[in-house]
Amino acid sequence: MITAERKKFEEIRRMTDGAGNLLVVGCNTCVAVSLTGGEKEAGLLASQLRLARRKDGIGGSVETVTVLRQCENEYLDSISEQVEKADMVISTACSIGPQGLVFRYPTKAVVPAMNTNMMGYVKEHHVWTEYCVACGFCIIAFTGGICPIARCAKTLLNGPCGGSQGGRCEISPDVPCAWQEIYDRLAALGQLDTLKRILGPKKWNASSSGGPRTMRLEGFKP
Amino acid sequence: MERELTDSISRSSARPVPGDARLRPPCEAACPIHTDAQRYIQLVAENRPADALAVVRETNPLPQVIGRICAHPCEEACRRGGVDEAIAICNLKRVASDGAKAAGMGYEPPQAGLTTGTKVAIIGSGPSALGAAHDLALMGVASVIFEKQPEAGGFLRTGILNYRLPKEILDEDIDYIRRMGVEIRTGAGVGENVKFEDLAEEYDAVLIAVGLSESRSLPIPGVEMPEVLLAVPFLEAVNAGREVPGLGKEIIVIGGGNVAIDVARSAKRVSGGKVTMVCLEADHEMPAHDWEVADARDEGVEIVCSQGPSAIVGAGKVEGLQVKKCESVFDERGRFAPTFCETELSVIPGDTVIISIGQMSNLSFLPENGPAVNERGILIFDREQCTTTRRGVFASGEVVTGPGAAVNALASGKRAAIAVARYLGVDVNFSHEPVAIAGVPAGVAEKVKKAPRRKMPARDAGERLKDFGEVETGLGVVDGRCEASRCLLCGGGARYSQTKCIACLTCVRVCPYGAPWADKDGLGGIDPDKCQACGICFTQCPAKAIDLTVLSEEDIAVRTVAALKDSGGGEVEFGCWYSQSRVAPGAGFVSLPCTSRVSVWLLLNAFEQGAQKVFVSVCSEDDDGHFVHGHRQTRAAVTDAQTALEEAGIDPATIELRMEPELKCKKAGQ
Repeated sequence: MITAERKKFEEIRRMTDGAGNLLVVGCNTCVAVSLTGGEKEAGLLASQLRLARRKDGIGGSVETVTVLRQCENEYLDSISEQVEKADMVISTACSIGPQGLVFRYPTKAVVPAMNTNMMGYVKEHHVWTEYCVACGFCIIAFTGGICPIARCAKTLLNGPCGGSQGGRCEISPDVPCAWQEIYDRLAALGQLDTLKRILGPKKWNASSSGGPRTMRLEGFKP
Repeated sequence: MERELTDSISRSSARPVPGDARLRPPCEAACPIHTDAQRYIQLVAENRPADALAVVRETNPLPQVIGRICAHPCEEACRRGGVDEAIAICNLKRVASDGAKAAGMGYEPPQAGLTTGTKVAIIGSGPSALGAAHDLALMGVASVIFEKQPEAGGFLRTGILNYRLPKEILDEDIDYIRRMGVEIRTGAGVGENVKFEDLAEEYDAVLIAVGLSESRSLPIPGVEMPEVLLAVPFLEAVNAGREVPGLGKEIIVIGGGNVAIDVARSAKRVSGGKVTMVCLEADHEMPAHDWEVADARDEGVEIVCSQGPSAIVGAGKVEGLQVKKCESVFDERGRFAPTFCETELSVIPGDTVIISIGQMSNLSFLPENGPAVNERGILIFDREQCTTTRRGVFASGEVVTGPGAAVNALASGKRAAIAVARYLGVDVNFSHEPVAIAGVPAGVAEKVKKAPRRKMPARDAGERLKDFGEVETGLGVVDGRCEASRCLLCGGGARYSQTKCIACLTCVRVCPYGAPWADKDGLGGIDPDKCQACGICFTQCPAKAIDLTVLSEEDIAVRTVAALKDSGGGEVEFGCWYSQSRVAPGAGFVSLPCTSRVSVWLLLNAFEQGAQKVFVSVCSEDDDGHFVHGHRQTRAAVTDAQTALEEAGIDPATIELRMEPELKCKKAGQ
C-alpha cells in the first residue's frame, strides 16, 4: 500500500494564502487504507481550514469531496463541477493525486496536503514498514523472499556489513538487519547454498534513475 | 407542547439493520404488537419520558395498562438475559407513562379525523376491542363499542383487581381512545337489549370481541352448594366492591393459572382469612407466571400442587375439598390429559371453594344465519383475515384465540382492525413479521459491563393486604434511567455501506467485540449480534463507510446545533445519557449513549457551528466506561481535536475533557 503522511497544517495553510474558494479532494484508496487521506481525513482538513480561515478573517468557502482513486481520469472527471468552482484544489492523495489533477485540470491551482513516503506492509494497526522501492527488477527469489534493496540501509546485495550487530542495523536498534533476516530465513529453509551462487550484476535499467517510467500492456484496446 | 422529534431515536420509521431490514431487536420481534421497546427504552434513558410514551403509543393503544399487567414476552426474549438479567421492559413502559404524566405531556390523543365515512360495531370492550377501535380510528374508520357491563374495559375491569391495575389508570387509557372519536355504549348487552341483527344491518362491519366472559365449572359432587363460587362472578363482585355472598374465612381456590392467582389474592384481601390454591400441576408446571405466584406466596396464599379435585365435601355446607393425587398433567405429546392416583385421597378443610379452572365465551347472541360456530360451540374463524363465516363480520381476541395475555388480545384486535379497514376499502397492509437478532455470543457477553436489573419497588406484603391499593409503586426516574441504560441497543449500532467500504480492515482491528469481518475478497459485514453500538468503528473508519443506526453522525450534528441554541452562550457538552451526570450544567447538552462515539469531526464541527467552548465527559478514569475501550476512544478524539484546533490557531483548552462519576454509582455510594 502507498503510504503518505499529512503535511503540517501550517504548511498547508500557507500554500492556500491568497486563494479564495478551496476544495479538499480526498482519495479513498491507498491513503485511506493507510488512514491519512481518505474521506474522513479530507473532511477533518477542510474543517480545520474553515476554522483557521474564520479566525483569520479570510473569506471564501472550503468544500470537500472524495473520489475512489485520484490516479484515474474517470474518477477525476466525476468531480469537475466542484473543481471548477474552486480557486485552489488541495489533494490528500499520494503525489500522484495532485499531479493527476494538474493533468486533468491544467488551469487549476493544485497543491498537495501530503508527503508521500513509501509502499508499506501493515505490521500492525497504525504501523507500516517499507518492503519495496519499485526498483524494477525483483531479486527476492534469491534472498529468502526478503528485499535487501528496500530493507537494507545500504541497499547491499552482498550483506551483511560490519554495521550489523546482534541482528540489528547500526542506523537504529529498532531496525532489523535485512541480511541477518535473509541469512536466518535461508537457514530455516535449509537453503543457505543459495548465498554461494554467483549472480550477475543487478539490472538497474528498470529503476527510477532513467527518467519517468511508463508501463504499457499489449492486448485488447478499446 | 410536545417536544419535536428530530433524530433516529425519535423517528418513527423502522430502522434497517445490516443484512436484513426485518432483523430487529428480539424484544420487538417477541412482542405480539411489535412495540419498538428499544427505542422507548433509550428515550427513558435520556430522560425523555413523553417522547418514550409517544413511541409506545405508536403500537400500543393501552400503554398504561400494558405497562402494568403485561406478560412481557419481550423480557423472555431480551438479549441482555444472555449477559446477566433481562431488561425490565414492562416496568420501563410504566416509567415512560408515569414520567410523561408528571410532565403533563403525552395524553392528548391525535385528532384522527374519521374521514372514511364508514362505521364499525364492536361487541365487547376488552383489550382486543379497544385495540381494534383505536387502530380503526387512526385509519379514519369510526366505531361504536357495545359493552353489557356498566363500564368499559372487559376483563381488564372485571377480572383484574385494583392492586394490579388501578381503575383510574384503566379509565385514562380508555378515555384516550374515547377522545379519539370512539363511541363506547355501556349497559348495551348484545343479545340482551341490543340485537346482533340490528348491528349487522346498521353498521358497515361488525367485530365480535367478547372475550371469555364465563367461568367453567367442575363436574364433581358438591358443586351445587352455595359456598361454591365461580372465578368470574367472584372477581366481578370484588371489582365492583359488592359483598360476595357465601364467602367464608377458609377459602380454597381451584386452579393454577393467572386468574386463579388473582382470585386467591383478592380472596385474601376480602376475607382476611386463610386462602389455599389447589392445582393439578407441579410447582414448576403451574401456568401462572412465576412472578405472580411469588406475589401470591408473599401475601400468604398457600399453594397445594399436584392435586386434582374429586369432591366438595360437607353436610349442607362446604367443609372441605377432597382431592386425589395428580400423577401427570400432560401426555407425551404435551397435551392436557391428567392422570390420577384414585386411592391417594385427602381432604383440604375449608368453608368456601372458588373454581378458577378456565373460561369460555358466551355466543348465545349469535343469530341462526351466522356467523357459524363449530360442533364445540367455538366461532369458525380465519386467522389470517380475521373473518367469520358471515361476510362483514369479523372476530378478535380471546373469543377466537383462546385464553392468553392482554397484549395478545390487543395484537389480535389490531390485526382485526387492519382486516376490517381493508374490507371497508382502506389501503393498508398487514405488516411484515420482524425477525429477531441472534443472542449475544458468549465471547461478547463476557465483555459487556454487568449491571443488576432494577427491582420494581412494592408495598410491604402485610401493608398491601389491607386494601386494594396498587402494590407496585413504579421504578421512578433515577432507577428507571439506570434500568434503561442496561439496554444493549440491539441492532442500533454500526451499519456500513458496502459501496463506500474500502475493505481497509480498520473496523475489524479496532472493534473490541469482534463484530466486523472481511473475507479474502474484502467483502465483509458487521455482525449485529456482536455489535454493542459503542461507535468506535464509526469514529475510526477512514472512508466514512460506517455510520450508527441509532444516533447517526448527522443526528449528533443536529443535536449539536440544537444544544448550542439551548445554551445561548456557545457552550456545549457531549455527554453520556447512561451516566445521568452533567459536567457543565450551563452548557447545551448533546446526549449520547457514551462519548465513545464522539469523533474528531463532531468536535471540530461544534466549533464550526459556533461553539466557544466544548466539554466532553467520561464517567470514570479507566479505559472503558460503558463499553470496552470506550473512554480510550473519547480521550483520543479529544486529544486529536485539541491538536487540530491548536494548528488552526485556536486555544486547545477550549475543548475540555471532564470526569464525572455516574449518578447511579454515586447513589450507590461508590
